[in-house]
Amino acid sequence: MNTALASTAFASDSIGSATMLLSNYVFPNDLHVHWSMMIVLYPYITGLVDGAFIIAALYYLFGVKSLRPVARFSLLFALAFLCCATLPLLLHLGRPERNFNMLLTPNPSSAMAGFGYIYAVSMGVLGFIILLVYRPVLVELRSTSQGWLKVLYRVITLDSIDVSEKALELDAKIIRFLVAIGIPVAAVLHGYVGFIFGGVKANPTWSTPLMPVIFLFSACVSGISAVILAYIVIRKLADQPIDHGCIITMVKTLTGFFILAFSFEMLEVFSHSYLKSGYHHMVEGLLNGPLASSFWFWQVKIGSVLPLLVLGIMGIFKLRSYLYNFLAAGVSGILLVQVLIMRWNVVIGGQLMSKSARGYTEFHPLWFDKEGIIAVIIVMAIPFAILFVLGKIFPFWAPENK
Amino acid sequence: MGFSYKMRLILVCLGIFVMAWVGFLFKSLLLPDSFGLYGHFRADAITEAVEVPVRHGTNSSCFKCHPFEAKIHKAGLHSTISCEFCHGPYADHVAVDKKTGTLPVKTGKQITTLCLRCHNTQIMARSEEVIKTVAMPDHLRNQQVKLTHDCNQCHHVHAPLKYINRAKQITGLMEKG
Repeated sequence: MNTALASTAFASDSIGSATMLLSNYVFPNDLHVHWSMMIVLYPYITGLVDGAFIIAALYYLFGVKSLRPVARFSLLFALAFLCCATLPLLLHLGRPERNFNMLLTPNPSSAMAGFGYIYAVSMGVLGFIILLVYRPVLVELRSTSQGWLKVLYRVITLDSIDVSEKALELDAKIIRFLVAIGIPVAAVLHGYVGFIFGGVKANPTWSTPLMPVIFLFSACVSGISAVILAYIVIRKLADQPIDHGCIITMVKTLTGFFILAFSFEMLEVFSHSYLKSGYHHMVEGLLNGPLASSFWFWQVKIGSVLPLLVLGIMGIFKLRSYLYNFLAAGVSGILLVQVLIMRWNVVIGGQLMSKSARGYTEFHPLWFDKEGIIAVIIVMAIPFAILFVLGKIFPFWAPENK
Repeated sequence: MGFSYKMRLILVCLGIFVMAWVGFLFKSLLLPDSFGLYGHFRADAITEAVEVPVRHGTNSSCFKCHPFEAKIHKAGLHSTISCEFCHGPYADHVAVDKKTGTLPVKTGKQITTLCLRCHNTQIMARSEEVIKTVAMPDHLRNQQVKLTHDCNQCHHVHAPLKYINRAKQITGLMEKG
């Protein structure tokens, strides 16, 4: 509690209402941070799905040919994480089985029910896109595989071995149609996650119409970074060549989305401090007090300004391909952490201030807890396990020479 | 299974529609009958809530039979505290205006524990202006009494400052103004 008081004292120096903030009066129901690390993971995981889907959409819908090497992989990556998108939410609930009640009797005043439906639609759309994209490969694999794998391939190819030009044309049409639906669905999926926070009127850091936009762009940043990093790491480990043109296109896309994401993040802080609406003193106190290091130092300086400089260098100067790939992997790694810290600052940071508008509470993550650090590591490991299994059924990479 | 590929896709689409239809069927089977009668909730829940026996009374129901305690309680700083908060639910004591049981009487250290439920400085989220809080045993040490003292040895539990103010009056230490 002493450190909280010290940090609030520091905060109050910068905004000049020391007496009010020093009282550190926290309502009893605000002392405990109720939405803890699982709720940080929830937007993080859906964000990874979103960004990875954007890469696939750029190839399949907008015909960005240079993304061919990662287009299929990013679909599988999105699916692996989408399978786990609701896991942190269910772990957070005391009675997870009751989520079905919410879905059976959806209420317009409940934002979470809406998420359930959007999630189901995106899962269906993504599943069908993958099946159709992979169909020629699956038909081929069906003839060479044995046992249960053969049965599985028969099921997911709808027991059809028709790969005639006509059938593939039909597939291509359906894929384009599904991806065209998939983009708004993916955008709504993650924009909606932002909306769930932005729709909490009682919390002044969340309650802003910018929230869905910020979440959406940072989602694209994290997803594209994840695909870049995974592509480079997996290819390096398997001792396979890395397509430099593909990395350049992904880094350029990443740069675009990151500039937008960072601008909107800063715009939100700027509008809070300029408009000085309602609880602005609490928001300023929060960012300069309890969140001073995790927001200004880690999220903004290390996680945003540094990558922005590196991305700038990568865009302006002509670098050797190995250096470019190395920097791309490094920047992607930093941005992945940045987005996680951003989710932390929004979700947990937003709950550190009391509705009394006179005090801040603290959050200390536990190791062994239902929503503790070990649980977070396990939840984040599951999508990779799923991705590994998916890789055994759907080959990650397209053949080189086409 | 001699369907063409196109036909298979159409069958998959049909399958999705059938599944959606089955979903709605399940929904209607799983929903309680009275759901949605008055609003977005189970209407029977109201009847069930009405049938739950009332456990708590009000202070005035207690004061009807305990006029002596009522007089002290109403005059003291604890006047806004519910009797049941310390003594337990009304229903354990009275049913249909007849005494049915005796509420447990707190004694000794139980009283200190009970007082500290609200008056403990350890409860951070509470303004000093609203409730006077103390840290034990510092409070006993500061007041220069034995550390074994229970709260009710100095404070009347219904009107905490009753004896203290009286003692100050008697010894002429009543603060001026």
